[in-house]
Amino acid sequence: MIRSPLTNPYLLILPGFLLAAFIILWPLYQLGTISLNDVNRFGQLRGFNGVENYVAVFTDPDFLGALWRTFIWTGAIVIGTLVVSVPVAMILNEDFYGRAIARVIIMLPWAVSLTMTAIVWRWALNGESGMLNSGLHGLGLIDQNIQWLARASTAFPVQIMIGILVTVPFTTTIFLGGLSSIPDDLYEAAKLEGASRWQTFREITLPLMKPFLNISIVLNMIYVFNSFPIIWATTQGGPANSTDILVTYLYKLGFRFGKLGEASALSVMMFVLLLAFTVLYVSLAMRRERT
Amino acid sequence: MKRTALRTAVAGAALLAAMGWAHAETVRVTVAEYSSKTGPYFEEAAKAFEEANPGSEIQVEVVPWDVLLQKLTTDISGGANADLSIIGTRWLIDFVDQGIAAPLDDYLTQDFKDRFFPVFLEPSVMQEKTYGLPVAASARAMYYNKDLFEQAGITEVPDTWDELAEAARKIGALGDDIAGFGLQGKEIETDVYFYYAFWAYGGELVEEDGTSGLDSDAGYKAAEMYKSLIDSGATQPGVTSYNREDVQNLFKQGKVGMMITAPFLSNQIKEEAPDLKYGVAAIPAGPEGDRGTYGVTDSIIMFENSENKDLAWKFLDQLFTTEWRAKFTSGEGFLPVNPEVAAQPAFADNADLKEFTALLPDARFAPVIAGWEEIAATTSDAVQTIYLGNGEAKATLDAAAGEINSILGN
Repeated sequence: MIRSPLTNPYLLILPGFLLAAFIILWPLYQLGTISLNDVNRFGQLRGFNGVENYVAVFTDPDFLGALWRTFIWTGAIVIGTLVVSVPVAMILNEDFYGRAIARVIIMLPWAVSLTMTAIVWRWALNGESGMLNSGLHGLGLIDQNIQWLARASTAFPVQIMIGILVTVPFTTTIFLGGLSSIPDDLYEAAKLEGASRWQTFREITLPLMKPFLNISIVLNMIYVFNSFPIIWATTQGGPANSTDILVTYLYKLGFRFGKLGEASALSVMMFVLLLAFTVLYVSLAMRRERT
Repeated sequence: MKRTALRTAVAGAALLAAMGWAHAETVRVTVAEYSSKTGPYFEEAAKAFEEANPGSEIQVEVVPWDVLLQKLTTDISGGANADLSIIGTRWLIDFVDQGIAAPLDDYLTQDFKDRFFPVFLEPSVMQEKTYGLPVAASARAMYYNKDLFEQAGITEVPDTWDELAEAARKIGALGDDIAGFGLQGKEIETDVYFYYAFWAYGGELVEEDGTSGLDSDAGYKAAEMYKSLIDSGATQPGVTSYNREDVQNLFKQGKVGMMITAPFLSNQIKEEAPDLKYGVAAIPAGPEGDRGTYGVTDSIIMFENSENKDLAWKFLDQLFTTEWRAKFTSGEGFLPVNPEVAAQPAFADNADLKEFTALLPDARFAPVIAGWEEIAATTSDAVQTIYLGNGEAKATLDAAAGEINSILGN
């Protein structure tokens, strides 16, 4: 068979590659350049200075705190979302009266912009006039207002909860797609054999859902790691940097303090970190699948 | 008939626009959105200017305060900045150091300078050149709720911090949801709220030897005083979850006895809580009679890389006429920066504004230091730590002073 040069696979992916390169690689190159230079407040390069920016970021005590919190933030939201979304998706996959409405309600938060959701939560969490406190009051659960955002010990868990809440719709959608691809006869056969619900879940649902679980974990990891609006709208990383994650810290570094060199260095580090984690996870998941 | 008229009009307008386009000299202006009135005001000014100067075009970009510096940074690094922009005067040093702002001395006639109170022009003079014109000026004073004062049996408005603490405790005892002193503990100007007491105790942000003044007796005393107010329930609970607007909202709801903020709260009260009985007084003094209010000016600057400097100046010239200044100043609730505006009855007879202008001799402006924003953030973090009880006043302020000294280059 003679292959026309027009069907050469490399040629076919070239336009897509060029577009991606323009959008992803060019800024990355720029970022790399800035991070290796002495940069003034306005992003103008003032000469090569090696890894000084990277060293400056590493020696900043706020950086390590933010790094550690980023892991907690990402891990808690990704796992929390998983734990919530699997049962929700399974319930929504059952046939019951009003399912269509239930599905819409679950998906609804997805339609609202993340910043909006975060601002609404900021109001809801207000100590004196917030909905949450007045709701808890009404239920008789508290008799003194809780100042949710005043300290990290209450603010950060609440922020994580908001994070889970806004990640659930997307994840549930993926899982619903996955569940509907599992053929019904498998369940029927299992039922005939007398398998319990837990057994069907462990032996049929979970293994067949694995690719969907994996993709949702990878995608959520990327989204959540870089998620800025929730923390920024509620506490701006405060009080005293105690709820900063890397992105909010990055924003302060770059746009508040005007240290664009250090901010670029941090961006590069975040990119590498996220890439490494994603590659690690994907390769682990793939290896398990093959065996 | 009507149709044809419309069509002719549209065609005519299109033609005019096309002709205008051919000659149009465009001046882009970035303005900070102080309130919902800012955008319309500048649009109106632009329109009036375009009518008076055919062939010119003014493009106004309204940007929220919070992201103004970010937008300017991005614009400048991409070479896409406007010709004129409003900036916080405390940022000006960076703009001057990097050659971004253009000196205005070639345009500034004595006659033009006389339009301003000299005290407001001073902050934008650097290296003996003037780089900005004060577009907005503000100071801080203490607002107090007259009804709460009466209920708590307080007859005298506190004039020292000791009296304030006592009054705050009395008012705080009135009820669970009533706070004596509204203390800001979050976001922009958290550090400034601390400076009011710090200055009263005789503190200086940057001492004569060029080091931070936070690790001084004034710093420790001010921090301990605030902390004791928090601990004794004289402030609203959870101060670190309240930014300035949140505290102002509490004040408007009549839940706060005293708070320190800018003149624009008067305007907000007039619109949102007209029944609130309040007064404006000086910020309390310290034991030695020291007193300090925070003076802030925003400047409008011209960019060095602007291609239409003459036209841009002409627009500035219009903005700083008495007519346009009066309109802006009363709309936004700022202090008048021009004597002629200040002499107008609307300002001269305003009791609230008088309190603010009386404080101006004590006004301190943010020090002109490159990297001031970072110093302010370090201070805010330190006072938040103290307010939360996560650190002793002395140890925390000493550590913050150390960090600030390294930013200052000592």
